[in-house]
Amino acid sequence: MIQPFTSDPLRWVSEDGQPIRELPARFTPELLRELHREMVRAREFDKKLVTLLRQGRTTFYAQASGMEATQVGLARSLRIGHDWVWPYYRDHALGLAMGVSMLDIVSQCLGTNSDLCRGRQMPHHFGSAAQNFVSISSSIASQVPPAAGNAMAQKYLGVDEITVCTFGDGATSEGDWHAGMNMAGAAGAPCLFVCENNQWAISTHLREQTASETIHIKAKAYGMPGYYVDGNDIVAVIEVLSHVAEGVRSGQGPALVECLTYRVGSHSNADADAEKNYRTREEVNEWLARDPIVRVERLLEHLGAPIDAGEIAELTRATHREVDEAVLAAEATGQPDWQIMFEDVYADIPVHLREQEAFLRAEQTGTAVGGRA
Amino acid sequence: MTATQSKPAAAGETRTLTLIQAITEAMHEELARDERVVVFGEDVGARGGVFLATAGLQASFGKHRVFDTPLSEASIVGAAVGMAVRGMRPIAEIQFADYMGPGFDQIISQAAKIRYRSGGQFTAPLVIRTPSGGGVKGGHHHSQSPESYFAHTPGLKVVMPSTPYDAKGLLKAAVRGGDPVIYFEPKRLYRAAKGEVPAGDYTVEIGKGAVRREGSDLTLIGYGGVMPDVERAAQALAAEGVQAEVIDLRSLVPWDRELVLESVSKTGRAVLVSEAPRTANFMGEVAYVIQEQLFDGLLSPVMQVAGFDTPYPYVQDKVYLPGPNRIAAACVQALNY
Ligand SMILES: Cc1ncc(C[n+]2csc(CCOP(=O)(O)OP(=O)(O)O)c2C)c(N)n1
Repeated sequence: MIQPFTSDPLRWVSEDGQPIRELPARFTPELLRELHREMVRAREFDKKLVTLLRQGRTTFYAQASGMEATQVGLARSLRIGHDWVWPYYRDHALGLAMGVSMLDIVSQCLGTNSDLCRGRQMPHHFGSAAQNFVSISSSIASQVPPAAGNAMAQKYLGVDEITVCTFGDGATSEGDWHAGMNMAGAAGAPCLFVCENNQWAISTHLREQTASETIHIKAKAYGMPGYYVDGNDIVAVIEVLSHVAEGVRSGQGPALVECLTYRVGSHSNADADAEKNYRTREEVNEWLARDPIVRVERLLEHLGAPIDAGEIAELTRATHREVDEAVLAAEATGQPDWQIMFEDVYADIPVHLREQEAFLRAEQTGTAVGGRA
Repeated sequence: MTATQSKPAAAGETRTLTLIQAITEAMHEELARDERVVVFGEDVGARGGVFLATAGLQASFGKHRVFDTPLSEASIVGAAVGMAVRGMRPIAEIQFADYMGPGFDQIISQAAKIRYRSGGQFTAPLVIRTPSGGGVKGGHHHSQSPESYFAHTPGLKVVMPSTPYDAKGLLKAAVRGGDPVIYFEPKRLYRAAKGEVPAGDYTVEIGKGAVRREGSDLTLIGYGGVMPDVERAAQALAAEGVQAEVIDLRSLVPWDRELVLESVSKTGRAVLVSEAPRTANFMGEVAYVIQEQLFDGLLSPVMQVAGFDTPYPYVQDKVYLPGPNRIAAACVQALNY
């Protein structure tokens, strides 16, 4: 039985990769290897994107290194293409694990013609209808009330889907977070709220964020169960999230799961010197030692099915190739024309936008007669 | 401490500062001058704010004067209102103007109205500082110019400097005044705008515009991030023999009608520039007052150069902004009318 409101995070595998309770039968070496592969892919994607940023080929990127078990584990707990996800801006490992293609994510980061979001959003804010993965918004916690509404619609329509809404620990301070949690609770909507608690909101630590001991206990106030999980233990993440998702799916109403993890890198490229400014190298090192990928490698060793170093190196190379190919393919599609600026503002382009479009066309072709835009 | 504070100011001395240095210096001096002043917001403490506007302030004044808050604009603005009502002088930072949304109700329902609805018994003199505007490849959630929403709300003062001198003087005036002030910081000028700033104490009166360039052929009016481009357009026109008078509004609420009307009655033509979307743009109000007051004296319709009525785009970041060419073209249109 998986208990809500525990004082310690639920865990199946110790920090050094030893099972500390009986490993559920489905966690065969084959599955663990698959999960390992997905986590490495997300990790190497991170590294490549940071390089692209340094090369000036994209202008923003938010790393998820250290948080792979939470995101890959969450993807495994869903019915992909069936359930709906309202993610936040650090969720590319989730997106990749849900089958959003590398090309789609890279195209969005580069704002090319192949970008499904058409170069409108800042980088790293992708979305993909094929996976019911709703386009990411920068505005913290603004996705929470809509996620509640998405779940209310699922209940209303009587469809066998659930909604997942992810966010960081900082997001739980916003009014929108509380409003959305309360709404989902009151409506008994099938919404699974997942807090990816990486303990820092830019430079603000969880201890300055809230006087609440944990995030998951806040669920109590909204009439839903709250679960506390070691977010670096992918076995625990999958066990708890799939259990909770089934409860939500079977009509028990919403639930909150707090995955305790850590953002090893900087908040974003605007924040490259985190260690200098607000957190200690020791703290980062402590969490590096809890690396979710290494934990699975140790577990596989324990199970007598180790992954050899050559295999990991090949996986790394393959991912780098995959990103490189996606970058080339995306760049080959070129930059969107200025015209797309006027599309998708409304269902149809209203007359005042047509006029502005005509003005800009004249300006671009050197036939403008004035400054009126 | 910033370098500029480390030496005592000699009377009449000026230094060259960037816009953001002037803002930091204003806060530093106001914190030193008045114990009721506090500075807070997301990441303003140890980190010094995402743009480093508050860098060094916590080290100088301690965590009880300069502090990080939970990630909640409603809490930041609402708490500022409560503190101000109880006698403090809060300077609250909203990390990006785009994130005023979650604090909007507190701004328009509480900050803007408490004086009026209490018959003046309770007041909320506070400052909300926030980086705004585009040109930094931020996409629509890091580039917006929401000043018109706030200019539309009675009870709020709204300012937007474009020079380091004004940035410091307006911020000090805002801290010392009796009203809630929304203080927009054109983020693309943070480091791009440099200028002379007196070492001593001074304020810039809220509600007064500034003539940046004198001219007799037409009046070019702007504020905030567009000002360097407005001045470039005026230079380009001067090279063609057209003398544009350039006015920097500096304050939107209240705005300097007198200065604007005086200039336009002299030149007979006005071109208004703002990067915010055109529809319900604050400059529409300026245009209205000009035509109402000066209808007979106008030589051409009042022209407006604005942002497009689209969310701020990412890839088309530069095309969106009214650059010097677009501004100059509007001037030519007014002149040829
Ligand atoms: C409404 C709003 N306010 C401020 C910001 C600026 N901002 C971007 S990320 C961030 C910290 C978010 O922390 P958290 O929710 O814990 O997620 P994490 O980045 O740690 O994964 C802030 C303050 C924003 N994007 N939206």
